[in-house]
Amino acid sequence: MAAPGTPAAPRGAPGLYVHVPFCSAICPYCDFAVQVGNDVKARQLVDGLCREIETVAEPWRLLVAGPSTAAPFDSLYFGGGTPSFLGTDGLGRILDHLRQHLPVDDDARLFFEANPEDVTPRSLAAWRHLGVDTLSLGVQSFDDATLAFLGRRHRAEDAHQAVAMARQAGFCTLSIDLMYGLPGQSEDSWRRTLEQATALQPDHLSCYELEIHRRTTFGKRYAKGQLHPMPDDQQADLFVTTHRWLEDNGYLGYEISNFARSPRHRSRHNRKYWDHTPYLGIGPSAHSFAGNRRWWNEPSFATWKRHLDQGNSAKAGEEILQPHDLTLERLMLALRTRRGIDLQEIRETYGCDLMQLNAERIEHYVTAGLLRHEEACLRPTLQGWIVADSLAAGLSVQG
Amino acid sequence: MEHIRNFCIIAHIDHGKSTLADRLIQHCGGVEERAFRDQILDSMDIERERGITIKSNTITLPYTAKNGKTYELNLIDTPGHVDFSHEVRRSLMSCEGALLLVDASQGVEAQTVANLYLALEYDLEIIPVINKVDLPSADPDRVREEIDSDLGLDPFAAVLCSAKTGLGVDDVLEAIVEHLPPPKGDANAPTQALVFDAQYDIYRGVVMLCRVKEGFLRKGQELLLMHTQKTYHIEELGLLRLQRMPQKELGPGSVGYVICGVKSVRDITIGDTLTLVDNPAPKPLPGYKEAKPVVFSSMYPMASDDYGDLVKALDKLALNDAALTYEKDSSAALGFGFRCGFLGLLHLEVVQERLEREYDLSLLLSAPSVSYKVNLKTGEQVEIDNPMYFPDPTEIESTEEPYIKASILIPERYIGAMMELCRERRGENTVFRYLTRERVDLTSEMPLAEVLFDFYDRLKTLTQGYGSFDYEITDYRISDLVKVDILVNGEPVDALSQLAHRDRARPRALHYCEKLAETIPKQQFKIAIQGVIGGKVIARSTINAFRKDVTAKCYGGDITRKRKLIEKQKEGKKRMKMVGAVEIPQTAFIAVLKSDSGK
Repeated sequence: MAAPGTPAAPRGAPGLYVHVPFCSAICPYCDFAVQVGNDVKARQLVDGLCREIETVAEPWRLLVAGPSTAAPFDSLYFGGGTPSFLGTDGLGRILDHLRQHLPVDDDARLFFEANPEDVTPRSLAAWRHLGVDTLSLGVQSFDDATLAFLGRRHRAEDAHQAVAMARQAGFCTLSIDLMYGLPGQSEDSWRRTLEQATALQPDHLSCYELEIHRRTTFGKRYAKGQLHPMPDDQQADLFVTTHRWLEDNGYLGYEISNFARSPRHRSRHNRKYWDHTPYLGIGPSAHSFAGNRRWWNEPSFATWKRHLDQGNSAKAGEEILQPHDLTLERLMLALRTRRGIDLQEIRETYGCDLMQLNAERIEHYVTAGLLRHEEACLRPTLQGWIVADSLAAGLSVQG
Repeated sequence: MEHIRNFCIIAHIDHGKSTLADRLIQHCGGVEERAFRDQILDSMDIERERGITIKSNTITLPYTAKNGKTYELNLIDTPGHVDFSHEVRRSLMSCEGALLLVDASQGVEAQTVANLYLALEYDLEIIPVINKVDLPSADPDRVREEIDSDLGLDPFAAVLCSAKTGLGVDDVLEAIVEHLPPPKGDANAPTQALVFDAQYDIYRGVVMLCRVKEGFLRKGQELLLMHTQKTYHIEELGLLRLQRMPQKELGPGSVGYVICGVKSVRDITIGDTLTLVDNPAPKPLPGYKEAKPVVFSSMYPMASDDYGDLVKALDKLALNDAALTYEKDSSAALGFGFRCGFLGLLHLEVVQERLEREYDLSLLLSAPSVSYKVNLKTGEQVEIDNPMYFPDPTEIESTEEPYIKASILIPERYIGAMMELCRERRGENTVFRYLTRERVDLTSEMPLAEVLFDFYDRLKTLTQGYGSFDYEITDYRISDLVKVDILVNGEPVDALSQLAHRDRARPRALHYCEKLAETIPKQQFKIAIQGVIGGKVIARSTINAFRKDVTAKCYGGDITRKRKLIEKQKEGKKRMKMVGAVEIPQTAFIAVLKSDSGK
């Protein structure tokens, strides 16, 4: 057992994330570190990523290599942005480089995000060939008007075809990303998108409510009073509708925004963000975490590239997490999952005896129907999930 | 003794008492120019900021009069507010005369009259002083008329001055020497000295301010305090000239200080008589009266960790404030605290402010209450100043509440509005008499509880600032009292419970419910707020739940930012009090209790 407040060093095998900061156009809601890409930048990115892999390999080994921590990466996630910008050759080069410089499990799962318009029989075959296990398609909606509002470059029909083709191509897990809680969206309209999505029988769904960020196009329109976000109450109603409807149709929500057809289709990679498993991020803006440290890369592609070109690290910042930070994060992240807070784990790994610290508040939350106390876990109910952040704040307050 | 003059200045608030004192001190060279600051006798920050005097203070001024003789003028500064009238009384007992200060444009006000009566009670010689004659709105002729008609004093004896500009200050000093009598006293009689106030010095302990009536006090003598029957050894005595000036002795008629190793002002009683162990006086000086608290409130630290600090702070504060009473108290909602007794609302505010400012505490105060008498069916009578201990209604035969006699001076045109305000506040036997053609003295018998809250503010508003008010507690009267509880999701918030007259219970409960609904933030569930008497709901309000407090995405790049947001939320929660499942911020308690407009 680790010292209280310090999470046991490795909690299973680490994960690796590669950020591709390019898109063919920037969606008006997107607040990720992305820019419009082209072939030249794509080549520079691949070069840079290869160099970064070389640069971080040794520090990473030193950081996570205790006697028991030689665990190799068992998940590789390509996200963005639009990872297909790497091109088949680029993706291949990076994978080779990763395997050459970092410990990668033979059975490591390969996750890949793509947009429907990038899906062709040829690209699918290439991704399969390179070992992609889980393909995540940024469908967002099956309604053309909604797609246009979101600034997407595909239509509902393209999404149908892409999903159907990908299904045929035989990925272990096929996942669809959807968005809801849009200005003026009706429950019916959202339900139709859900119906069409599930009709295509993906293994996994991610359903995200639209959040309006200040520096995005939507954010600016909102500031000018040109965009009226859906009120919280309605978003909350749609949240409940989404979880109920998907559960009734065979997709259990295992996290606030993630649904799987069976436990084996739950994301092996994303789980690591939620339970303090170490992860290494490469590419602009990518975040990494191990033990009690979190660090992150330069968000701007140009700066990131310059650092690497000069033989430096692309790291932009770092934080050392104090025991109470780690505990708070763990509570906040656990409350986002169906499993909830494992009281024993919190006690033994984080040195925090919640039942002793906060029994009264827990009881109030249980009485109010926000938490269930079962099997030595505090599980959020649907209503609890919607206010998970305030529950985390409440549970971490003493008394 | 022929050359001693002991006097005080009595005045209504804002009539320029402290400024006149400043000017007299400067004129007599009582303080060096560079050490001078305005309101020099008010040493507490809170006194200076609010322009009020809380503690009595005194200063000995050497003055060479026009007749060529040098006099020792003892100016005893007294508080002006009704809360501190016991201090005023004791200060008056130490004087032979008083300057009665009247603002040249405001004229005579209720407190001027009340203080004059007090001064006459102690046979003081009065010199009317009309201040602020430099103001364009000054109307000394009218004020002279009021001095004649309202106060029954000789208007031609009045001295005109402007403390601000210094005009007429000479005349004031000459009038003191000429018109006020010197003290009387027998140097050979057994020593008798009146303790009229006490200060606390962190190095020397208690510094008693006293007025020697008979005999001498000398350094090294064994002292007997006649009421407490305690003996002390005089370590130091002397005159006060802003700083202490040690002397060998204090003779009859002098005003000065005595230090004798007393640790806390609570060990002595103000108003006690000092005499000598060797040759004690046969009986103490008259006029000793204990200051009894009339307003009670429970005080809780906002953070329960601060309870220890509150204990220390109160103990320290009490060293210098003998009128403050406090005993342990605990509330289910607010944890451990103290039930405190105050002389009035101003005293309460002053104590709260000093605790928060000088001891860096964040406090929460329960609704102020007066002391009620409850007659039980068993024939027993109990005094209740804390709603928590209100007996079960089935055991109660009757209840009584304290009444005051309010004296209100207003211009004639506001009679209607004031009569209505008195009626609203359950005033009885409200009568008025004309002092002059335009000015009216209105008296009313009202429950003390009704004037505790915002009565004075309302009076000022209704009379556009021209009205003034003073009161004295008279008696207890039978009254139909009920205990109003406030429930939040079914849980009583004991700190908000209060005793009220049955007719006033519902509006007050409704006001509490509405205020809480405005100030308690939305939470994860719906909150019902109810005002109840016994089991019966008499008022209610509701706070809807907030529906959403979570973001859709939380991956590697989001975690730190999210953690910080939740950290903030958590800090906010730390400042809240849990009542059942509901978190109530300090601001809600403050808003409810502050805006308690006596509805």
